[in-house]
Amino acid sequence: MNDKRIKWITIGVIAFYTCLLIGWHLYDPSSSFDVLKPGADHRPAGHARKADEVLIGEFFMQDSTVSASSLMGEWPCFRGAGHNNQASTSPNMKWIDGDFKEMWSIETGEGHAAPVISEGRVYVLDYDEQLSSDALRCLDLKTGKQLWKRWYRVAMKRNHGFSRTIPVISNGLVVTIGPEGHVMCCDKVTGQMKWSIDMKKRFGSEIPFWYTGQCPLIHNDILVLAPAGTDTLMLGVDIKTGKTLWGTPNSVHFKMSHSSVMPMTLGGVQTYVYIGVGGVCGVSAETGNCGNLLWSANEWQPSVVAPSPLQISQNQIFLVAGYGAGGALLQVDKTGTSWKATVKDSYKANEGMSCEQQTPINYKGTLITVLPKDGGGMRERLAMYSPNDLHHPIWTSAADERFGLGPYIVIGDRLVAFKEDGELYVYQLFANSMKLIRKQRVMEEGVDAWGPMAYADGMLIVRDAKTIKCLKILTEE
Amino acid sequence: MDRRNFLRTCSSFLAGGVALATGGLLATKAKGKEGDVFWQIDPYKCTQCGRCETDCVLTVSAVKCFHANRVCGYCDLCGGYYRPNVKELNTAAENMMCPTGAITREFVEEPYFEYTINEELCTGCGKCVKGCTSFGNGSLFLQIDQDICQQCNECAIAKVCPSDAIQRVSNDNAYKLKDHA
Repeated sequence: MNDKRIKWITIGVIAFYTCLLIGWHLYDPSSSFDVLKPGADHRPAGHARKADEVLIGEFFMQDSTVSASSLMGEWPCFRGAGHNNQASTSPNMKWIDGDFKEMWSIETGEGHAAPVISEGRVYVLDYDEQLSSDALRCLDLKTGKQLWKRWYRVAMKRNHGFSRTIPVISNGLVVTIGPEGHVMCCDKVTGQMKWSIDMKKRFGSEIPFWYTGQCPLIHNDILVLAPAGTDTLMLGVDIKTGKTLWGTPNSVHFKMSHSSVMPMTLGGVQTYVYIGVGGVCGVSAETGNCGNLLWSANEWQPSVVAPSPLQISQNQIFLVAGYGAGGALLQVDKTGTSWKATVKDSYKANEGMSCEQQTPINYKGTLITVLPKDGGGMRERLAMYSPNDLHHPIWTSAADERFGLGPYIVIGDRLVAFKEDGELYVYQLFANSMKLIRKQRVMEEGVDAWGPMAYADGMLIVRDAKTIKCLKILTEE
Repeated sequence: MDRRNFLRTCSSFLAGGVALATGGLLATKAKGKEGDVFWQIDPYKCTQCGRCETDCVLTVSAVKCFHANRVCGYCDLCGGYYRPNVKELNTAAENMMCPTGAITREFVEEPYFEYTINEELCTGCGKCVKGCTSFGNGSLFLQIDQDICQQCNECAIAKVCPSDAIQRVSNDNAYKLKDHA
C-alpha cells in the first residue's frame, strides 16, 4: 500500500470519528421528552387550586357492605352528655371478671383526637398523614369497621401528632373542629355534608401552638364556638343551617387556647365559661340574653391552657393549666345585674391540685385529678382533693401508679385511668379514697396515650398516638 | 403419465398438504390457547411491595397498573396521582406520584378528573396503587399484561411475592379486573 492511500485512509477515519463525536455532542435526546408541567389536565382557568386552599368536607367515601350495630348507648361529646366525664351504668350491667376483651383495634394518623359514640356508631376526627387531610371516620361500635369517611385536605406539619379534638353529636348531626380550626357539620348517619366554617378565615382566629384543642359544644340546640378572633370572642351557630345566631365581641382581646367552652349554671344563670389565652370569661347562655359577656378575669392567664374550667360549687370554678402554671380558684359573684369574677387562690403546680392536660373530675363533691410532671413528689399520681382544700390531697395513688398525661373517666362507681404508655387501671371509688381493683396492659409499647376515653354500651374506647382500641368492660347480667 | 401431468399432480398434492398443515396448525394452536394457563395477580391479595417492578425477567416488567373506571371516584385530590404532602395541586412533575409519568388525567367537570394509565410508560412499581388503595376507592391495581408476559414456567415475581398474590389462572380468567364481576 502506498503512502498516499494510507494518508487518505487515516484522514477519512479521523474525519469519521470527529463527525461522530460532534454529532454525539450536538444530538439532544431530550427533544423527544414530554415535560410534565402544570395545566396538563386542562383544568379550566380560574379553577387552579393552591395546596393551602381548604374545601371543608370535600371528599366522601362510604362502605355499603358495613352496617351499624343496633346499640343505643351515647357518649355524644367531650366529657360525655353531662359534661362531667362521668358515665352511668345500667343496673343490669356488671363489670367483666378477668381481662377485658379487645373488641377491635384500628390504626390512625398520629394524634390524640378521641371518639364520641352514638347509636352504635363511633365518630373520630382522624388525620390522614398520607394525604394531609382531616378525616371524620364513622365506625361501627361493635366491629370497628368503617361505615363512611368524610375528609378534606389541610396540609400541616407534625407537632406532637396532628389530631386533637372530639366531635359533638346532636339532632342527627355530627360537628367537628379540625386542628386548624375548620368546623364541619355532617349528617351523623349518611355523612352528608351540611355546612362548614373556617374560623381562621372568618374570624381571624390565631391557631395556637400544637393546633386547636377546642372541642365543639352544642347546648340548647346551639353550637357554641370560641374562635377568640379579631372581633369575635364566642358565637352561637344554628346547627341546622350553620348561620350565626349571636356573637360576643372580643372586647377582652383573648386568643384561642386549647381549652373548650363549658356550660355551667353560676348564681342561677346559665353561662358559657371559657379560658382563653389572656384570661377567663363567662358569657350568658340564657335565652334572650345569649352571647352577652357577663364577666371576665385576667389575673390568671397562663400562656398555654389545655384543661377546661371545672365548676366546683354554685359560684366557684377551678382553673388549671400545665407547664408550670398550676391551679387557681375563681369566684363569680352576682350583685343585681353586675358580675364580679375574682381569683381567690392561685398556686404553682407543686403547691396544690393541678393537672397538665386533662380536665379534672368533680365526683360527688370530691375532685379527682392526675398531678402534672412538675407536681413535686406526687407528680403524675392520681389524687383526690376536697373543694375546701385545694392544697392538700385527701388521697393519692401509690408511688408506682403514675399516669403521665393519660386520661381518666368515672364509669358507675369506678374510676378508669389510662397510663400514657397504654396500661389501664380500674379503681373502686369511695367518698374520700380509691382502691386499685385491677390493671391491664392494653397497648403493647403504647405511646402518648393522651386522648380522652369514651364509654357506651359496656364498651370503653381508648387510644394512644397511633391506635384506637375498643374494650368490652361491662356485660349484661 | 407425461411430464406435464406428473408436475400438475405433484403440485396439487403439495398445495393440499400445505393447506392441511396450515389449518391443522391453527386448529392446534387455538385448541392449545384454550387450555393454557397464565400468571396473574390477585389485586385483593397484592400489598404493592414493589417487587413486581424489580423481579420480572423482562427489563421493563410485564406487570402494569390497570384502572377500573367504574370504581374510581374521579377525585381531584387523588392519592394515586399526587405524592404525599405536595405543595401545589397541579400536574407539575414534582407533584406526581408516578415516577415515569404514566398516569395522566383530564378535567371532566368541577371537581372531577378522569385518570388514564399509559402502559408503555408504566413499570409496575405499584406506588400509585398503594396511594389509591390506602386513601381512595382502590380503582388502581396491578395486573400482568398477557401480551407482554413470557409465561415462564416459574414466574420470577411469584417466587418472591410476599402475599402469594400471583397465581396460575385459566384463559377465561386471564385478568382479574376490579370493574368486572
